[in-house]
Amino acid sequence: MSESITLHSHKGGPNPWKVVMVLEELGLKYNTIFVDANTGEHKKGPYTALNPNGRMPTLVDHSNNDFTIWESGAIVLYLIGKYDTTHKISFPDFDSTAIANQYLMFQMSGQGPYFGQAAWFMHFHSEKLPSAVERYVAEIHRILGVLDGILADKEYLVGGKASYADLSFIPWNWAFGFFGEHVAGWEEKYPNFTAWNTRLNERAAVKKTKADKAAVN
Amino acid sequence: MSSTAETPAITLYTTQTPNGVKISIALEELGLPYTVKKLDLSTGVQKEPWFLAINPNGRMPAITDTSFPDGKAIHVWESGAILQYLVETYDKDHKISYPKGSREDWQVQQWLFFQNTGVGPMQGQANHFFRYAPERIPYATNRYIAETERLYSVLEAQLASSSSGFLVGDRLTIADITTWGWITIAEWSGIDVAKFPALQKWQKLLEQRPALKRGADVPEPSKIKETLKSPEAIEKAQQAATKWIVPK
Repeated sequence: MSESITLHSHKGGPNPWKVVMVLEELGLKYNTIFVDANTGEHKKGPYTALNPNGRMPTLVDHSNNDFTIWESGAIVLYLIGKYDTTHKISFPDFDSTAIANQYLMFQMSGQGPYFGQAAWFMHFHSEKLPSAVERYVAEIHRILGVLDGILADKEYLVGGKASYADLSFIPWNWAFGFFGEHVAGWEEKYPNFTAWNTRLNERAAVKKTKADKAAVN
Repeated sequence: MSSTAETPAITLYTTQTPNGVKISIALEELGLPYTVKKLDLSTGVQKEPWFLAINPNGRMPAITDTSFPDGKAIHVWESGAILQYLVETYDKDHKISYPKGSREDWQVQQWLFFQNTGVGPMQGQANHFFRYAPERIPYATNRYIAETERLYSVLEAQLASSSSGFLVGDRLTIADITTWGWITIAEWSGIDVAKFPALQKWQKLLEQRPALKRGADVPEPSKIKETLKSPEAIEKAQQAATKWIVPK
């Protein structure tokens, strides 16, 4: 392992790619280890010694005594706190940081879990449960509506520039194809959201992350 | 600054829920004065324009703080972000936090996210399918109860190996505070807490704290333990909640 950071990742899941995006934005070098969830590798040692929750991602920073941290949102805060000293995708001032963290929490506790449950009931669960699908589709639309309203008068969520708060939403936005007819017409329905999403996807680091993900899937 | 004894700088918009009490507990532990604005969620007040101007997500809790250093009021929503805001602004002595950038501080962030993205959302889904869903779907109920119990077992292992009895280091932190309210309603969510002895011990340890008790009773004491004693009361509470929780 030559680089000073190792990311324990998963090829398909959205959350590890959130961290990849931040690593790319900050120009940090890292090794990737893909954990194979199909074999249950994430639910046993040695992986659970790194992350007792048995989920991906987990980041190990060899330059900081092998400091180990999991939960994608906490990893993002660690990376920007430690390495984004010029505030490329973060903020020097306290109030912008407080609001950026608010949006990061909204992504982590709102978009992530509910988009995830929608995906489960649409695609992975063997039995068709329309009322469960409906519940989570309604929540997807609610969240898109909230973001569309917030973005009505701004290009980015905080401080007029792309930050870790904006980037955190991108990996689940990539999953829209996956939601198919349930989100049909989202570009017209949520124009501010769509323009923001397009803007973010044009970033070099986001493009590279998308290409890296496509290459392993 | 603009704060006086009569009008505290901080206003907390809340109701008696696990996410609401996180904030009142942190405020009490820090000894900060604050005004409570109770939101009656059954009236849909959280979707009214005046509240959406504070929190466009239309959820509680949210705070406003008029003593923000730049002189303008700040609104913060998302319970986890509010906890971060409160300790970074007001916990200079690190009563319920650790110095920024310390190893312990990053671990606190990790467990904070673990609750806010894992325990909270999944236990919330367990509540929905176990208590409120108009259609009973055994698979969905079991899915979320099992996932919540899995997440509890991760907390259990962490607490069983903790010498202080807290999640991170030697003190109560916002990682414990964010978690406590959800653990106290485990039975309501269909979770058998007897499976998690270290977690129960931790719960008792926290409940010895007078500040935590004060914060837990905001805006009024929880009725859940009383409700759980009677099947009729449970039924009534479920029906009342179903009316406004389940979208038409």
